[in-house]
Parts: sequence; structure tokens; C-alpha cells
Amino acid sequence: MTISIWRYSHLALAVSSVVFILLASITGAILAFQPISEQMAPYKVADLDEVSLAKTVEVFKETYPEVIEIKVDANHFVMASVFTEEGENLEGYFNPISAEFLGQKSEPSKFFQWVTNFHRSLFLKSVGRFFVGLCSFLLFVIAITGTILIVKRQRGIQQFFAKIVNENFSQYWHVVLGRLSLIPIIIITLTGVYLSLEKFNLLPESKEQHKIDFEMISETPKRDVSEFELFQNTPLSEVETLEFPFSDDVEDYFTLKLKQEELVVNQYTGEVLSSLKAPVVEVVSNFSMVLHTGKGNTVWAFILGLASINILFFIYSGFDMTLKRRASGLKNEYRREECQYIILVGSENGSTMQFANAFYKQLLEAGEKVFITELNNYTQFPKAKHLIVFTATYGQGEAPTNANKFLDRLQSTKQPNPCRYAVVGFGSLAYPDFCQFAFDVDKAMELDFEKMLEPTSIHDKSIEAFHQFVSLWSSKIGVTMELPQEALVQNKKQTKTFNVVGKTEVAESPDNTFLLKLKPKRTQQFTSGDLLAIYPKNDYRERLYSIGKVDGNIQLSIKFYEHGLGSNYLNDLVVGDKFKAKIIKNTSFHFPVKAPKVILIANGTGVAPFLGMLHQNKKHRETKLYLGLRTHASFNLYKPEIEALLIEKKLNDFELVLSREAEQCYVQDKLDDNASEIAQTLYSGGVIMICGSLAMQKGVLGVLESICVEFTHKTLSFYQAQGQLKMDCY
Amino acid sequence: MKNIRLIAVVLVTFFGLVSFTNQGPSTKYKCMIQLTNYTGEGAYVAISLINPAGDYEQTLFVQGDDNEWYNTLESWWKFYGKKRNNIDAITGATISGGERSINVIEIEDSKIDAGYSIRFETAVEDHEYYTQDVEFPLTSETVKGKMEGTGFIRYVRMMPN
Repeated sequence: MTISIWRYSHLALAVSSVVFILLASITGAILAFQPISEQMAPYKVADLDEVSLAKTVEVFKETYPEVIEIKVDANHFVMASVFTEEGENLEGYFNPISAEFLGQKSEPSKFFQWVTNFHRSLFLKSVGRFFVGLCSFLLFVIAITGTILIVKRQRGIQQFFAKIVNENFSQYWHVVLGRLSLIPIIIITLTGVYLSLEKFNLLPESKEQHKIDFEMISETPKRDVSEFELFQNTPLSEVETLEFPFSDDVEDYFTLKLKQEELVVNQYTGEVLSSLKAPVVEVVSNFSMVLHTGKGNTVWAFILGLASINILFFIYSGFDMTLKRRASGLKNEYRREECQYIILVGSENGSTMQFANAFYKQLLEAGEKVFITELNNYTQFPKAKHLIVFTATYGQGEAPTNANKFLDRLQSTKQPNPCRYAVVGFGSLAYPDFCQFAFDVDKAMELDFEKMLEPTSIHDKSIEAFHQFVSLWSSKIGVTMELPQEALVQNKKQTKTFNVVGKTEVAESPDNTFLLKLKPKRTQQFTSGDLLAIYPKNDYRERLYSIGKVDGNIQLSIKFYEHGLGSNYLNDLVVGDKFKAKIIKNTSFHFPVKAPKVILIANGTGVAPFLGMLHQNKKHRETKLYLGLRTHASFNLYKPEIEALLIEKKLNDFELVLSREAEQCYVQDKLDDNASEIAQTLYSGGVIMICGSLAMQKGVLGVLESICVEFTHKTLSFYQAQGQLKMDCY
Repeated sequence: MKNIRLIAVVLVTFFGLVSFTNQGPSTKYKCMIQLTNYTGEGAYVAISLINPAGDYEQTLFVQGDDNEWYNTLESWWKFYGKKRNNIDAITGATISGGERSINVIEIEDSKIDAGYSIRFETAVEDHEYYTQDVEFPLTSETVKGKMEGTGFIRYVRMMPN
């Protein structure tokens, strides 16, 4: 319900601070290389945990007539300032064991200095600092609102890292990378804010000072510095600085600064004269500095760099999504009061809008008076005769943001004229609550209006399914509608050439099924479970086939239908032919990389991707295949391959289920027989994959659901959320 | 006549050389600057020799990482900024509030007990600028002493090396 508030604030904050965030993240990404390049300098000569301060002080005192200070920097390089025999001041890096001078203190490179300056103040001094600090805070809030959006989207914190369906490049990566770089970004922003506050003196100041009783200072018992217990027990790695006494006067002393404490030490006796805990503000500042800059830690610096680059990507992808959402805004030619056709849209990220808009335009061109609006704007439409609802579903069967008030409004608003209605739902079968909200809307509207068509559900923005709806609807109404075409073609086709290298004959199969082997003309990356899209008439009409990768070739299993667009096209190919098609990555249906056991369930041609996966099962993961076919004769097509897989131990167990012969049952019945095995597989982290007809999928899911509840006391969707259930059905 | 000419040439050359190696005997001093516990960026400090007339005569030391900010030491910058002699040998890193630095500065012996002073001026980015944070006459006593500061410097201590 409140998602819109979070989204609006996420966007509003991003828009208001984009320029600063852009500059800060570009420069931030560059600055990540500074600690990395520093670490490469050759001044790390010893393990400072092993060297005691006493030893280093001793050797320095022996080597140089006067030592002023010894420092250990974030990179664990030892720096010192000493006077040489000639009375010259020598400053730079030293070897802590031999006191040998290693090199001048490297001036921070002009370039990094310039970028740093830009990064924290944009060369605007205080004003710039203020804005950079403020935007750091805004970015923090953006990260928080983003997190809330992800939690909402993933339906709960527990599933924060659960799989996301890749429907749209910008959206998918915005979420995926957002989850990954969340922690670094929160750290960067908070430490950034802290460092800015510090610059503006907004933090409490520590006034504590050493209290030394100079009356009590004594030169006896005199001991050598190398015998000071404190120095002996302090490894160099804990030291920040050791300031040597300015003169031989007993009132001059050593000041030893450790990470958490500052000690004043009598230069003759080694007695600790005073000690101060480092003020919290300072400890936090140092820690913020290290976290913010990655000083002294190459890995963290690298992570910070990646996070900065991610921010750049978020800016791009975020605006890309926003612009697309805006582009699908609604514009009307007629006023609400004069229209007979009312199109109501519920859309979360704008893709449903595109379909609704296309429909709207076509109906306008057909000469009808149409009004299009969001579902939440539902109100009285004085002349309405037809209501057409296009809606997506959000989260767990909930309404999209711009439709969340529709059901209430529907109840409280009555239309003056009797209306007929149709509902079209958009969604993805990969989600358990596919088109749920569309069905809810349909049920609610049934009470008031005459249903013209059963609710149509459209999987994965299928233009094909949408056309079917349009032609069905328009023929019922009696309007001629041109099918909207180019408007909806999402990706410009990028087809590649494929050669036919093998094909079986339809006539030999009792089920009119044939196998087709294709070889991409140029090398292409693909794997079993990906999809091959073909365009039989070279237009918007697309047919998808699940790919099995066998010996580097694409193997498809196709059922031939006399009037089938795709199957006719493919059946007309002969070995040696070339044609154009496109491989679509389908990562949600790849063979699991890690899983103790994989159960594959297929009927008919759905076995094709599984054959490929089993061929690729070179690691011999435990597998079991359930295959539902009609008759023994149907099996002949796959028999040689499956027998070979069994012998090679790429397939461990195989169950053939025949629906027209022998036991005459379906795959789901066999699953029921092996219920405990299935439960065991899911329980131990195994994966179940289903490929085949939607009818089979429905049956199988029903059986799996009851097995899960009975044996594991968890729902099937629990396992699906963990990526243990993968489906590709048609 | 010939001799006179020769002598003249020799003399001119000699005085020319002498006038370029202009310094008399000098002493090196250890000089410690202890800053107050102010918060903010590191302080820029210029140490200068001031002649009896109160004008800048020589830059003894500059503490500052980035010469871009040297001009915040306004008064000294008017003296140094015009000529910008090479002072690389007498520069050190900035230090922040609460820290101390110890440097070696070299002063000609003839300037001690001769009406000359030493001046420490300080500036911190976006904060105050102190022209005379510490300034005291150079005498054989003061070069072994401790002087309180009035700005970012808490005190300065000097000691012949």
C-alpha cells in the first residue's frame, strides 16, 4: 500500500541530488585506486606484530644523534623524522629493524590530491563541503528507501536475497546490484556524513589534557629506553606515533600514541606519567576515515571502488526506468463523459501501460470514443458500455500501486448504464501468484457487469497472446481492429544464422514429433534451458523452443501440428538449410550448479532441454528423470540417447510413464508413488525441474504441494523461493 | 697602466664572487611548534626573519603541504609571493590541532642580538589568520627559550643544535 511513498521518495531524493552524487561517485571510484597504489610502494619490510617498539627505538637511537618522532601509517609503513650527523633533518620511510632510510615521504600525487579536493568540496570550499555532506546523507536515505522497496518487492525480509525474475534489464540489475552494494554504500554514506560533520565542528570536542605533576618527576632510577617495559610490550603494529622528548630536560617526555590511548612517558625512568583514552569522537573519526577511503586495505578499497561504480549504474538504470514509466503515461482525446469504451489500467512499472496504450490507439482508429485511465481513477462514466481492464499483479497477488484503491471504488461507485467487461492480466508464470489480481478484479466486476470474456492472462508480455485477446474481443463487439504490431515489439530483433545439421522424420513418430539439430553459424554462448526464438513469417510473431545442448549443437524436440505456425516452418527445413533465429537466455531454467540431487520432470517434447542438461552433466550429479509419453512407440525417438546417458552415469534413474499403454497413468501419479523420495530431495536442498505442457505442470504442482506439506511441513513456494523449483512450461 | 687594468679586472671578479656568497657564519636551531587543540584542517605556518625596521628579510621555514594555500598567509605572501624563491629545502608537512612539529632552522649568527626578530604566522583553511601568532626578538637568551603563542600555536621552543 505504502510502496508509492517509498518509491516517490526514492526517486525524488535521487533527482534532487543527482548531480552531486554523480560527481562524488565518479571521483570516488577514481580515489579507490589511491590506497591500492599506495600499498604497492616497497616500504613494508617487516611484520610489525613481531617488532617491539623498544627494539626500534634502540636501533634508531644508536643510528641517529637525534630522533624526533616515529610514526606507523595505515599501510604499516614506518616513518620517522631524525637529525643526521651533519645536523640535517631527514624525514621519510625507514626500516624499523635496521633504522635504514628507505625513501622520501612520497608526496600524495597531484592528481589524487586534485580529485580528493573535488570529491569533498567540488572546489567550492565550505559551500561545496556542505552540499557533498548533505548529498551523502541523501544517498544514505536513498539506500534505505531502496532497501524498503526491495523488501516489499521480495515479500519479506527473509527473502531479501531470493531470486528475481529478469524481466527488464535496468530494473533487474538495479535490484540485484542494489542488494549487493547496499552495505558498502551505507558505510560510505554514513562515514561521509560523519567526516563532513567533523569538518564543520559539529561534533563534541574533547577538552581532556594530560595532567602531569612536574614536582614529582624524577630522573631516577635511570634506565635505558630499550628496557622500558611499556616499549618492550608494545608491538609496532599498535603504535600510531611516538614523539621523542624535545630536550634532555626531565620535564620533556615521550608521548606515545596508540590506537586507543595516548601515554606520556618519563624519558629517564620509563614511568607512565599520564594516560588518556582517545576520545570517542577521534576513534570514530579515524575509523570513518579508514572505512571511507579504504586506506591501508586494498580489498576494501576495491570494494569501495566497485560500490562507487555501482552508484553510477544506479543513476543510469534508475532514470532509465523512470523515463520508460513516464513514456507510458496516458493521454486522452475525448473527455470521460462522452466515451463508450473505458480502458482501465493497473501497472507497476509501465509495461502493461504499453499494451493498454496500443489497444487504446487501435480502438480510436477504429473510430470509437475511448477513454483510458488508471484503475485508481475509477469513477462514473456516464456513457460507458464497455469496460476493459488491463492489469499487472504486484507482490503476493496484490494490486499494483495505481490500482490499489480500485476494488473499494468499484463497490462504492455505480455506473448509470449496464456495461460489459473483459479483464486482461499481465504477469510471469515464474511467480506463484500469476495474474492473481486480474482474477480478483474479474470476480469483483462480475457482480455488477456482464462478463464478455473469461479473464485472459498474458505470460511474459506475449504479443501473441495479446493478439488473441484483441481479435476475440473485437469480433465479439463487432469492431474491426488492426492488430497493433511494431508498437509492442520490445527488442529489435537481433537474429543470427543457424545451420540445420540433423533432423528426424515426422512420419516415423506415432506422435508427430521430430528432433531438430542446429549449429550456430558463428560461435554463440548458450546452454540447455535457454530458448530459441524463431520468426516463421518474419514478423512480430515469435515461437519459442526450449534448447537442449548436445555436443555443442542445439537440439530441439518439436511436435508437428498441421496448422502450427512454428512446427510447420521448422518441419520444412532440411539438413543443410540455413535460417535466422535468436537465442534468449533463460537463466531461471538452467541446470543447478550446486545441488545434491536433481529431479527432472517432463512430458512429451518437454524432455528436450533435459536431454541437453544430462549430456552436460559431466560432474555426474545425481539425477532422476520422469518422462511422460503416450506409448512405447513414442519413446523410440529418445530411447538411444537416454540409454546412453544411463550407461555414462550422467542419468542415475529413469522412469517412463505411459498414458495410453501399460499402467496408463500420468507423471504426477508416479510422483505420488515416490513421495518420500521427492520430499527427501527437497529437504536436502535438491532441485526439481519441470518442463512440458501447462496441464502437466498444473497436475505436478498439485502433487508436489501436498507432498511438501505432508512430509516437510513447508509450502512448495518456500522451496520455489529458494530456487529449488524451476519450471518452463507452455 | 697595464697592471692597474689587470688589478681592476681581478678585483671586480673577486668582489663579484664574494658578493654572491653573501652569508656569514650561521647556527642551526631545533625549533618545536606545539599547536593548540583546535579542530579543523592542518595549519599553515611560515617562520620568517624580520629586520630591525620590521620588514621581512628572509623565510626560515614553511610548514604546508600544498603551495596553493600559501597565499592564506597573507602578510608573508606579499613578501614571498613576488619572487617565489625556491624554498623546497625548508618546507615541511602541515600538522593539525594538538600536534607538534620539530624542524631545523638556520639563522646567521650576525642576526642574533642585533635587533632582528623571528615571526611565526599561521593560517587554517576557513578559519582565522594570525600575522603574529608568535614573534620575539632574537637574542642569545630567547633562542634557548619557550614562547607562548596567541593563535593556533600553543608555544614555540628553540634550542641551538
